[in-house]
Formats: sequence, C-alpha cells, structure tokens
Amino acid sequence: MKKNLIMDKNYLSYWLRQIRKTMSLIAPMRLKNADIVFKQVDNIHEIELDCPASLPSPKEFLLPQKEYMFRFSKNSVDVLKDCTKRLIFGVRSCDISAIDLMDRFFGEKFVDEYYMSRRENTVFISIVCNNPDPTCFCIGLGTGPFLKSNFDIQLTDLGDRYLVETGSKQGADLIRGYSHLFSRPKKSDYDDQYEVILSSQSKFEKRISLENTRQKILNEKINDLFWDWIARRCFECGGCVYACPVCTCFNVVDRMEQEGDGYRFRIWDACMFKGFTRMAGNVWPAEKKGSRIKQRYFHKLLYYPDHFGRFGCVGCGRCTITCPGHVDMATIAHRIDVGDRRRR
Amino acid sequence: MKEIYLPIKAEVVEVLDMTPDTKLFKVKPERPVHYQPGQFFMLSLWGKGEVPISITSACGFHEYVELCIRRVGYITSAIHEVKPPCDIGLRGPFGNTFLAENAKNKDIIFVAGGLGIAPLRPLITRVMNEKKRSRRIALLYGSRNPGEILFKDDIEAWQEKGLQLFLGVRKGLQFILSAGKKDNCLLSGSGPAAESSRIPKISFKNAYAFVCGPPVMISPTMITLSTMGMDENNIYTSLEAHMKCGVGKCGHCYVDGVHLCTDGPIFSYAEIRKRRLQIV
Repeated sequence: MKKNLIMDKNYLSYWLRQIRKTMSLIAPMRLKNADIVFKQVDNIHEIELDCPASLPSPKEFLLPQKEYMFRFSKNSVDVLKDCTKRLIFGVRSCDISAIDLMDRFFGEKFVDEYYMSRRENTVFISIVCNNPDPTCFCIGLGTGPFLKSNFDIQLTDLGDRYLVETGSKQGADLIRGYSHLFSRPKKSDYDDQYEVILSSQSKFEKRISLENTRQKILNEKINDLFWDWIARRCFECGGCVYACPVCTCFNVVDRMEQEGDGYRFRIWDACMFKGFTRMAGNVWPAEKKGSRIKQRYFHKLLYYPDHFGRFGCVGCGRCTITCPGHVDMATIAHRIDVGDRRRR
Repeated sequence: MKEIYLPIKAEVVEVLDMTPDTKLFKVKPERPVHYQPGQFFMLSLWGKGEVPISITSACGFHEYVELCIRRVGYITSAIHEVKPPCDIGLRGPFGNTFLAENAKNKDIIFVAGGLGIAPLRPLITRVMNEKKRSRRIALLYGSRNPGEILFKDDIEAWQEKGLQLFLGVRKGLQFILSAGKKDNCLLSGSGPAAESSRIPKISFKNAYAFVCGPPVMISPTMITLSTMGMDENNIYTSLEAHMKCGVGKCGHCYVDGVHLCTDGPIFSYAEIRKRRLQIV
C-alpha cells in the first residue's frame, strides 16, 4: 500500500486536471479580500500553495456548517445525503490529523451516516508544510509538519519536484493510470526530503507542550478562578469552535417552508454559547462563562486523551488567529504550563 | 447503514390528562420496540424538533409505549396540543438502564420527586412483580401538592403487594429528607418516636436506592442516603441534559468526559463523585 514516487512539478496541474474529470476538486484559493479558503477550483492555476493556512478548516466538506438531514412533508420523509465525490488538494498535515480524529469520533458506537457518506467519497492530498505560520504549534503534538501515516496522499515540496507518498487505497487509486507522470525516488530525493523536514521543523516559533498542561490540570494546580479570569477576556463569539478542525458539536433545527412541509437540518453549535446546555424549565448546567471555557479545554486536554489517546487539538493555530480576546488554546496552554497564572 | 437520526413513525393512540400540566401519551410505534427501565426515547415532531423523553410504561409489553410529559418547553408544549389519532416520530430507545439485576433479593428504596416517578415506574413494577415475601421495598415520593401525585392506581397496586409508601407533599421531599432538622427527619432516625416510626423498614447497609427527580432534589437525597450507611455504588440516579441527537454525537450533553445520552443517563453516586459530574 505504502508507495513513494517522484513527480515533476510541471506535471501537477495536468494530473489534477485529469482527476478533476471524475470528481470535484477543492483546493485553497485566495479570495478578493486576500483570505484563503477551501473552495471548488475552476482554474487550476489559481490554487494557492505558498500561503498561510486557510482560516476555515476543511472540516466544512465533511461536516458542513448547515447540512440538510431530512425533507419532510405531511406523508413522507426523505433522507438527504451528500454523495459527491471530492478531492481536497493542498490540505495541511494538522487538518488531516483532525479529520482522523473526527473519523474515530463519528465512527464509534453509533455511526453517523451523514458524516460517513461524505467521508467515504472524499480523498485528501496533503502537503508537508515547508513554511509553518507563526501561530502553528503542531510540532509539539506530533500532528505536523509532516505525517507518518493516516494520509491518502502526501506531497513533499523538494524545490522542482514533489515526493509523492501514498498511504491508503483511495490514494493509490488516484495514482493508478498516471504512471508516466511518476518516477522512482533516488537516494538524493530522500536526502532532500529529510532536509526539507528539518528546516521546516526549525521554523516553528511556538513550542507548546500540551502534555505538561494536562499534567498540571490533572495535579489540580489550576482552580476555577483561573477559568473565571480567562472568561473575563472571552467574548463568547464561538469563533474558536467554528474555526477548530476538531470541534464537532452540532444543533438540529427544523424549518417549515409551507404547511406541513419543511427541512430538518443540522448546524454547527458551540459550547461557548450561553444557551448551549440550557434545558426547558430553565435548568442550566453551565450558565457561567468560566465553566463553559473550562469544559471546552478539559474536553480537549483531558477527555480526548482519555478516550482516543490523542489531544483534541492539532496545533493548527486557527483559534489564535480568530480569538479577539487572545484566549486561545496556545495562550491558555502556555499560561497553565509556564506560569503567569494571575488570578485577578 | 443504520439510520440513527431517522425517527420511526408512531401513532398517538390515547392522551390522558394527569395534572393540569402533565399528560400521559399512549403511543404505538410502527414496529415493536424493546427497551429496559431507565431508557429514553427521542420524541420527534416534524417541524418542531426533538426532545428526550423517558419511558413510563412497564417493560416487557412492547406494542405500546407510554410517555409522561410535562409542559415546560417549546416542544413539550407542542406535543400537548396533539389530538389522537396523530403521527409523531420516535427514535430509540437510547441510554443505559437501571441495573435491577444486581438488586435482586435485596432491599430497595425508591426516591421520586415530582415527575421523577415516571422513569421509575417500569422499574418499580418489575421489582414488585418479582417480589418475594422477605424482601422489603420502600417508595419515598414527594410532590409539590397532593393534586400532583401521579400514577395513584399504580401506587395502590404496589402497596397491595407490600410496598412501603411515604408521601411528602407541600415542600415535597424536603420534608422527608431534611437530615439537618432533627424534629421531622425521616431517614436519620434520631427524631421523636412518632416520626421514627415512619422510617422505611429496610436494612440500609445492603439496600439499593434508585433516585429520580428534579436536580435540586437528587444531590441532597444521595448525600442523605450515603450517610444512612448505604454503599455509594448502590445509589443510582438518572441525570438529565439538553440533548439533540441521543447518540453521543451532538455534544450538548457532554459533561466531564461522559456523554449523558450514551454513557448515561443512569449513574451511581460513586461514579458521580469520581467523575465529579455536575448535578445541575
């Protein structure tokens, strides 16, 4: 299954153009206002690869912000399921790790068929980060800048050529039939790969150890006052949750279109929102902002490792960019780990 | 693949007014469902939404399901408007169950507050039907006022089979369980002689307790029961949370490392203390 190949950079657009004939191609593109987003590619030359990470994570293709589940009328209910074949190109390693975590979450116990039908029809081509952003800290979590497993296809930029690694059957299917584009890697290619990875690893500005943070929390070094202090800087905008590639909470809403006709859909929800846990009769478990923030970080730092053996954070740094109050994962983990635990 | 979000069709056959704001719905699902005491259904009204509702009917009889619903929120108000015959949706049953097997041939104390009698009813019925003479079973039932005591027929039937009944009204269970006040404490047994005769005659050391009711009641009840000498592992309660999916995906009921819908809603007091679960 695992296979390494070399492809000349000039062949990339041809290869993508050929693949696009069978499935929808999605890649990072620059919008007019200079934001980078994943969207459907019309012109392959517009794909941006030397750019900061896209702000919306590619999770929206697996768990869309608004996903129609059922269309109901008076007598019938239709299950609406998305089975579009997609190739998502240019994803970063951290996002692939996050998707692996989502696969395990949605695939355990009760299998979420909406997620799974999208997931089974989606292939990812990830790219090793040669230039990590200043906000990235995946290196401390083992989710980047490159992956050792769990990818479909991973490309490493070696200057004038790509090292193409296939890690799954779906990935191998993309390469089959295009053997004229690929050649066998030489020893010098592996040397270049090693150098690229080393130089990338040295470029990380943030060195954050979530394991230390976890230990500090487990040893009860952090009390509720800390979370209340963090809460004073939180705007409850939910930006960190929406931008997070690991967060999966959703709300289910019914909308009527006409008499008896309508849709049931699910939309992203955020545990930072005040009404997230409110029940009928005004029973309200997490009314305080501090307890909601504590719940979110405990989920990512304590409960995810307990359940999945991995942190519920992949170090993509999106919350650092999004948070208007500068109380993101990197800041909080750093505060807990290194100190500066001012209480008021 | 199994559709976990698609409700099956169910017909509301009968609606009984129990109190001004509580109704008992007799529902006939499209196909028979198998459930255990303590589990819940996601009741779905197309165009309104879904709510988790605990099952009130005795398990073992699967063609009809009874759901006891109080009008408190948006969807429960909507279902109170339903006139039979009418179709609704049901998903489930979800959640874990009261482990009645462990309590076999042991003394049992049930503590119910208000609508908390509804999820306990299948369990009490099962226990009373299996009851042997030597086994002592008590029900402490508190409600806001005498008119709000639910399932009076069932309680009478249970009493005939030897259930020790303790009703507390007005202040509800506070009256029964006020461990702090010595003059009218029922469980602590240190009150005046007249009151101490009203202590449930069970051996607390080996007894099992099943507590169900509003969150304000659960925590003092469990503390009282454990100070009475009961093993914390033998005190069970049913927690509640806002739920959207019932299958552990939507994240609304996720507290302290457990999804209340799939890992719960039944927890023992020991587990609640270990995980520091918040009883609202």
